[in-house]
Amino acid sequence: MTRPLRIGLLRLTDSAPVVIARNHGLFARHDIAAEIVVSPSWSNIADGLAWKMLDAAVIFPPLAIMTALGRRGHPASLRPLCTLSRGGNTLILRGTNPLATPWPAGAQGRQAFDRWRHTMDRRPRLAVVHMYSTHLLILRRFLGMIGVDMDSEIELVVMPPADMIGALADRAIDGGCVGPSWGTEACLRGLGFLVGGSSTVMPSHLEKLLVISDTITDSADRLKAALHDAVFYCRARENRQAIAHDLARPPEEGGLALPARATLATLDETTTPEPVTFVAENVTNPDYEWITQDMSALGWIDKNDRQTLRI
Amino acid sequence: MFTDDPADIPGRPARPPMTVLVADENTRRARALSDDLRADPSLRVLSIPAGTALIDAVRRYQPDVILVDMGRADRDALDSIRALSQPALERPVALFVDRDDVELMETAFDIGICSYNVLEAPPDDVKPLLRAAIALYTRFQRTRGELTEAQRQLAEQKLIDQAKRLFMKNENTTEDQAYRWFRRRAMQTAQRIAAVAADYLAAHGRDGTP
Repeated sequence: MTRPLRIGLLRLTDSAPVVIARNHGLFARHDIAAEIVVSPSWSNIADGLAWKMLDAAVIFPPLAIMTALGRRGHPASLRPLCTLSRGGNTLILRGTNPLATPWPAGAQGRQAFDRWRHTMDRRPRLAVVHMYSTHLLILRRFLGMIGVDMDSEIELVVMPPADMIGALADRAIDGGCVGPSWGTEACLRGLGFLVGGSSTVMPSHLEKLLVISDTITDSADRLKAALHDAVFYCRARENRQAIAHDLARPPEEGGLALPARATLATLDETTTPEPVTFVAENVTNPDYEWITQDMSALGWIDKNDRQTLRI
Repeated sequence: MFTDDPADIPGRPARPPMTVLVADENTRRARALSDDLRADPSLRVLSIPAGTALIDAVRRYQPDVILVDMGRADRDALDSIRALSQPALERPVALFVDRDDVELMETAFDIGICSYNVLEAPPDDVKPLLRAAIALYTRFQRTRGELTEAQRQLAEQKLIDQAKRLFMKNENTTEDQAYRWFRRRAMQTAQRIAAVAADYLAAHGRDGTP
């Protein structure tokens, strides 16, 4: 191989398997030379895949699907290598929770929304990390569960996950759906409260997978083996402190500069209702089912697209 | 000129200028790119004021094309421009324009710029815009490279001077003798003189200032 495989990811807890694989020499053990490209936004990931600046990426299924279909300008020959994580997304709102708990579905949830909405001086501005994200689908389903119309009752904005902390502090947004550990960090800083998330909307849904470009299929098996080992490490309870420590280190020291306490919390099902579960398995069609169903309902894809991708 | 302006062709109606939004947080580069593009009268070139979100600028100026620095994290919002500006969620139309020229787009990406079209139908003459942007970004990269090299040389010279002064003090030699010693040592160990100087300072303490 002439150059290392470039793997794109964002600063999130669920990027851990790739970071661990590099830091612990698991890529090297499987004869993979890998370079991690920490990207500032999901567009950079999608464009990097489409325009061959990345060989692989940690990504959520909707964006992977739209990128593969060329809905962002240029189709990319991609294939899913394996799952990396399930769950872990949080729905957070700014201010004070009118209930002492996450919001239940139905009239009670609607009442909580109305009471909270009353404290806002505008139509609530809720952020998702990308339009083509599981986060948008989860937010949409959650709002549907409490009888809130996403099109007319909220204003939807898009921003990278790490930017949400500052946006909440500046009151530029009133909440959003964000991946780990940024939602937990917002709660720990008193910037927001948790109303729901992956577990309340679609428990154990596929969140991150590793997609690879067709140009590196020769390395696919070895890459998968390395990630399998990394996920095995990430799943061990006794490694949680070390993982959080690794991810909290600055990028120049092999980390992702994640907030340490919040990151540790997102790894522990006893401290958060929305923990990240690391899983390295083949992606199966049931994983895609609710995602493609919602993407179809939103008019993003049609039957032909699903046939093209065989999902 | 970047475009074959129909206004110049007798008998063809004048076309309204194409609005280009330059979104680059490097203000010097953004200004240079805007200046380059403004040389073409068929373009209306706009820059984003510092601190303004890309999507707000796009809403305000409604450009035909956006040239954007890939480092901008708020680039994500472009994917949803239509969805955010209309009540119902629709398929976004923020697209790359040069579908037919993969190599050009890959070059653009390589140096950190991309182009978006926010119209349903891409304008015909975006490629020259992108080429102009690529040329300018390359020039900036080169200048930055030259600046880094100059800074490296200055830092090395400072290190060598410091080590020489310490050597002269320790060994009671002239500056010329000190320099010859470092040069000989560099040749013997197949290292740069600056590396030998750094080793010397590390081994003998850094108090080389007179």
